[in-house]
Amino acid sequence: MSTTSLRSEMIQFEFEGQQVLARPGQSVAAALWAVGIPDLRLTPETQAPRGYFCGMGVCFDCLVTIDGRPNCQACLVPVAAGMIVSRQTGRASLLPPDSEPGDVS
Amino acid sequence: MSASQPTSPATIDDGSAPRIVIIGAGPAGMGTAITLAERGLPVTIVDQNPIPGGQIYRYPAVPPVRPRTPDRGSALRVLLDDHSERITLLSGHQVTNIETADAERRVSVCGPGGLRTLQPDQLVLAPGAYEYVPPFPGWTLPGVMTPGAAQQLVKSQGVAPGRRVLLAGTGPFLLVVALALHEVGVEVIGIADTVRRRDAFWKLPSLLSDGKLLKQGFDYLAGVRKAGIPLLTGRIVTRAEGRGRLQQVVLAPCDSDWIPDHDRSAPMKVDTLCVGYGFVPRLGLARLAGCELTPTNLPGGWIPTTDPWGQTSVPGVWTAGDGAGVAGAIVAELAGQLVGLGILSRCGVLEPGEVERLADPIRDRLRQLGRFRSGLDELAELKPGLSGLASTDTVVCRCEEITRETVDTAIEAGNTSLRSLKMATRLGMGPCQGRMCQPACARRLVDIGCSTAEAVGRPAFRPPLVPVTVGQVAGIDATAPEDLVDDAWETDDVS
Repeated sequence: MSTTSLRSEMIQFEFEGQQVLARPGQSVAAALWAVGIPDLRLTPETQAPRGYFCGMGVCFDCLVTIDGRPNCQACLVPVAAGMIVSRQTGRASLLPPDSEPGDVS
Repeated sequence: MSASQPTSPATIDDGSAPRIVIIGAGPAGMGTAITLAERGLPVTIVDQNPIPGGQIYRYPAVPPVRPRTPDRGSALRVLLDDHSERITLLSGHQVTNIETADAERRVSVCGPGGLRTLQPDQLVLAPGAYEYVPPFPGWTLPGVMTPGAAQQLVKSQGVAPGRRVLLAGTGPFLLVVALALHEVGVEVIGIADTVRRRDAFWKLPSLLSDGKLLKQGFDYLAGVRKAGIPLLTGRIVTRAEGRGRLQQVVLAPCDSDWIPDHDRSAPMKVDTLCVGYGFVPRLGLARLAGCELTPTNLPGGWIPTTDPWGQTSVPGVWTAGDGAGVAGAIVAELAGQLVGLGILSRCGVLEPGEVERLADPIRDRLRQLGRFRSGLDELAELKPGLSGLASTDTVVCRCEEITRETVDTAIEAGNTSLRSLKMATRLGMGPCQGRMCQPACARRLVDIGCSTAEAVGRPAFRPPLVPVTVGQVAGIDATAPEDLVDDAWETDDVS
């Protein structure tokens, strides 16, 4: 990745205020893994770090906020130039007022 | 394309053609689509990935440095392309719901253009499978991942999954991934397989049923030996440790029940652990469609009930591939072809005699592969030691951060089904909908003698199967921020 030819093909996005280079087509999780960032979110209850686990969109452990939108699966979303990504901390999702845990019928 | 293929019948597009939707473009979905398109029927394929292939034949997201030898997936993609005028491909689309009331089938799909509803006459479910990882201390640390996840990093993303990597679990897939990692220069410090060599030996007779596949297995073993990768049989990973990320694992010898001998355990410095104990069929689509399930002794515990053609208990809903029972890519493609023949017969395109003639050789091959598979399944049969790895403070539900202690307290209070455990503890109520925790929890209930596989109950799923935004639901703006529909997180609709 140090050669200029490879560098010119790479795109740049932002993670936690830091500029990250990625290859076009890479998922956000893979691009961050490649630069040594394995922890992608902190859990709501114990603030434990979590990262890329199943790699196929099943486990929902690699959730990040992308361009202001929470709960994005970093293993599925491809990077885009200028994308702004941050770790999801806690239960970032917003609860609509009418979606309290329902009765089980 | 059909002009260059004079033997191919004309596309049936006079309005009488049945509307056929296939969910999943892995080997099973592609097998069905090609079988139908070859006989002139138009089909629509809904697939999560940008390019067909499923997980096993996943198309590289990043061009590989070294050109890859074309695999069966490349050939299937070419065949799909040959019939592109009959095949509508909705790539990058995920299914959020299926409704099958009143003999109608409504499939809600979510893609870049928002949410849409398809109303097929025949619906084929080919969702595939995911890896089975029961909880053990440290399994949530970044740096612990499934072998499939590591394979995706190498083969699709052009990224090395680590510098020093240990593979652990059971089954031939570990060998495949170990070799893929070794090829790109990753130091694979070992493959820890829970099955002891002496236990594997007795399974050889059933594996002899398919010499070609058995040879492939031995070729992998030879490759691993040549690469100098230690094969650590009869060993189990009991812990993953590290501050903020994985730094070392603890490996212990285990007996034939996979119960570790902690006194003889030893730490190993690694930066990545790839751990998997087989595959769980993805049952969400079948459950939402209302398909009956049959219990199995394999990971996940249930598979959709089908007739010999792959039709489920719901008329007009069919299933094939690992989502219908894990058996690998070759079986998946053949089963997909059988579903295609079943639909062709149902739609009156093929006479019953003709369809039987075409199905016979496929069934013969499936029977042979089935014998080999049952050998592999016996070899990888889950043992109770695996259910006992988690300690009291181990998180067993990754989404809701529920510990073993909380679950055990609820079990002692008499909650011995998935449904009552969910009510008592919130186990499985997070965004993964229990895909990660419930198969292992069900297994543990059986292993500790609290329940039977049937009494534990079927896994429950609720729409939307994947989180969608309010904007997507309204069809206004698929990228509207902040408006997340939170049903998938907070409500519970146990069926």
